[in-house]
Amino acid sequence: MAYIAGVDIGNSSTEVALLRTSDDGTHEFVASALYRTTGLKGTKKNVPGVVNALTRAAEQVGIDPGDIDRVLLNEAAPVIGDVAMETITETVITESTMIGHDPSTPGGVGLGTGTSVEITADMADHDPADPVIFLVPDSVDFADAAARINEWHENGYDVEGAIVQRDDAVLIHNRIDVEIPILDEVSDLDKIPRGQPTAVEVAPQATGKTIDELSNPYGIATVFDLSAEETQKIIPVARALVGNKSAVVIKTPRGDVEERTIPAGNLHIVSGRGSTTEVPVDQGAEVIMEAVMNNWPVSDVRGESGSNIGGMLNRARDSMAEVTGQPMDSIEIRDIMAVDTLIPQAVQGSVAGEHSMESAVALAAMVKTQQLPMRQIADGIEAELGTTVVIQGVEANMAVLGSLTTPGTDVPIAILDMGGGSTDAAYMDVDKEIDSIHLSGAGDMVTMLIDSELGLDDRDVAEAVKKYPSAKVQTLFSIREEDGTVDFLDEPVDPSLFGRTVLLEDDGEMRPVPVRKSPEEIRRVRRRAKRNVFVTNAERALNLITPTESIRQIPFVVMVGRSSLDFEIPEMISDALAEYGIVCGRANVRGEMGPRNAVATGLVLSHIGGGQYLDFELPAELSTSLERTPTKTD
Amino acid sequence: MAQAQQPQQDENERKLVLTDKGEAEEGTATDEVVIAISAGFNTMKDETLAGVKLANVIREMMAGIEEEGLTARVVRFTDSLDLGVIGLRGAKLSGSGISIGIQTRGTTLIHQEDLVPLSNLELFPQAPLIDLETYRAIGKNAALYAKGENPEPVPVANDPMARPRYQALAALWHIKEMQLKDEDAAPMEQEVSFE
Repeated sequence: MAYIAGVDIGNSSTEVALLRTSDDGTHEFVASALYRTTGLKGTKKNVPGVVNALTRAAEQVGIDPGDIDRVLLNEAAPVIGDVAMETITETVITESTMIGHDPSTPGGVGLGTGTSVEITADMADHDPADPVIFLVPDSVDFADAAARINEWHENGYDVEGAIVQRDDAVLIHNRIDVEIPILDEVSDLDKIPRGQPTAVEVAPQATGKTIDELSNPYGIATVFDLSAEETQKIIPVARALVGNKSAVVIKTPRGDVEERTIPAGNLHIVSGRGSTTEVPVDQGAEVIMEAVMNNWPVSDVRGESGSNIGGMLNRARDSMAEVTGQPMDSIEIRDIMAVDTLIPQAVQGSVAGEHSMESAVALAAMVKTQQLPMRQIADGIEAELGTTVVIQGVEANMAVLGSLTTPGTDVPIAILDMGGGSTDAAYMDVDKEIDSIHLSGAGDMVTMLIDSELGLDDRDVAEAVKKYPSAKVQTLFSIREEDGTVDFLDEPVDPSLFGRTVLLEDDGEMRPVPVRKSPEEIRRVRRRAKRNVFVTNAERALNLITPTESIRQIPFVVMVGRSSLDFEIPEMISDALAEYGIVCGRANVRGEMGPRNAVATGLVLSHIGGGQYLDFELPAELSTSLERTPTKTD
Repeated sequence: MAQAQQPQQDENERKLVLTDKGEAEEGTATDEVVIAISAGFNTMKDETLAGVKLANVIREMMAGIEEEGLTARVVRFTDSLDLGVIGLRGAKLSGSGISIGIQTRGTTLIHQEDLVPLSNLELFPQAPLIDLETYRAIGKNAALYAKGENPEPVPVANDPMARPRYQALAALWHIKEMQLKDEDAAPMEQEVSFE
């Protein structure tokens, strides 16, 4: 009897497939194991993780890891990915309005126009014919403010509306004799100019309607009696107020709202043919991606120093140089992926701490080098276990072999390996020739998009939002899932989760999401991020990998890798590829492992020449091990 | 800016008047939040351990509830001084199933009718650290729970010196308030007015 173990060192986990060859020559897979990858993939620090995974597999069949006769390693693809984001617009307000300020409980209803006046002002200083809008600072109690408004009203003044610093709008509205619109929670009330024509509008409650005068340029023109020229200038203000339940517009001589584009530098894309294309990052993802695909195959990408993206590209280069011990300039960025996104940013010059959704470009990069020092790892394992360690094959080829053990597959076949840092694809044609490709943009990019779009500012929470469906705890015994179905629970939820939006983790635990977002909103952001990254990349990869550059030529697509374990990514891709008439689904390696263990299984099959698991003869280049001379170690 | 006029009611001179309106009944309106107060609230003392006037405490909590479009009911429990019990029974009387429980010394919690006494939605255990702004926020959060919204818990201040400084005083207040306890008294609906 002999034992052979295939070991796949991935970015996040190290997988083992253990095969027993009986004395009569039959092969049987007897164990599989998984352990966290120690250190950066492709470095000597992986050895403890490999030994641990091997020990676990050996324990399952009751042998000592030293009894394994041969350990097969894959040559990991020498790529790493990194992500960064660049904001490309900003909104600047100069005292004319409050953009993005939409307090949850404004008071009253309607549209009021008048001159802005301090609530504590002396009545005698004002002309009763001139309508007023009161400004109520936090030093004035709501009951006193209401009494003052009633007093002015009784004395024949025309009170048209109020702007309040504290969250007091409903309280004041409930205590006054006039029906006026009141807007509250304006934190920097003192920044509002006094004595200026001001308009306040609050949409009627429980009608589902939003404001309709101040969000209309002609509405603002009517209110302030603007000229045609002035009306043109007010367009950004009106546009920014669309969808609000309440709004304030102040007519000031200099008042303006501006959406500026922040220069974010250029990307220099060097094509395989040697020409360089310059793309400004602030042009957005579509322009960047078009330039990348026009220059395919890309041989290098350089960013502007000083920008986030330039810094990220250098950082990726840097860490790859460290892993391989090669000089920085010999390391090249072979692919970038850009996605347009919106992120909440504080508005410049705001008076109520407002936020506005600004455009940003998220970028993922993939760095490639010649070869990883795999021999060092092999020597390390040999020293630990005393068994022969062979570098059996290249990651992509082995993944194809392993994936072919999925029931119902045949050549030509394409595999999509969706991990955290990169999306890899490999294609095996009818002559068993394999071609592979590595693209940037995968799970980590989705996490970054979710993190910034939801304003979480916490990678760990964003990762959980990506992995688990959300729900709202309605009562202690019921939750409403994102699709609207209500589930009753046997055990009450923790009281601290009452009313909160939670994530339904695999172990039945609920984890609160620390932002005020509904499950529907979270679902929308999460699915859009996944679609923008994974569906886009799947189509890109499959188009590039087929000899005819046409996705329609592939009958079978099999998905493997960590992200294919996701609860919705595989079905999104299957759905998108269905229109090309492709059979696309999650792998089921050896008919039992699901999308896991493909590479480790492939390594073993490559060594034994297929056994009964593959119904064709393996070509020589797939069944012979790689000769890698040890890179020099000191 | 014009000279600020004298407020019509000085904050420190506002007086709380609580009058029994009869036995409290179980509410049916889903837009109400019950504020459950302890036996000696406003009768034994008119301020919390921190010296915050109870008149303002009640007013701010009611304002927080009103601002969210709900109404507040105040109910006095004389048969128990256990805050968890007062809060939970208040929640059971509340049409929305949500209540705020508060003792004379200022210790506060937000409770829900399906819970057990010692398990609550939010607890503010260090009475001396709760200011009026926090009481407003507590009222607001209770209202948000009643509306089925998704409130962020009110931040709870923590001062390790609060315990040594106030514990003896708190115990004394508690003993004094215990003398007002009447195990046979039913919870009483309170008419709230300010003078």
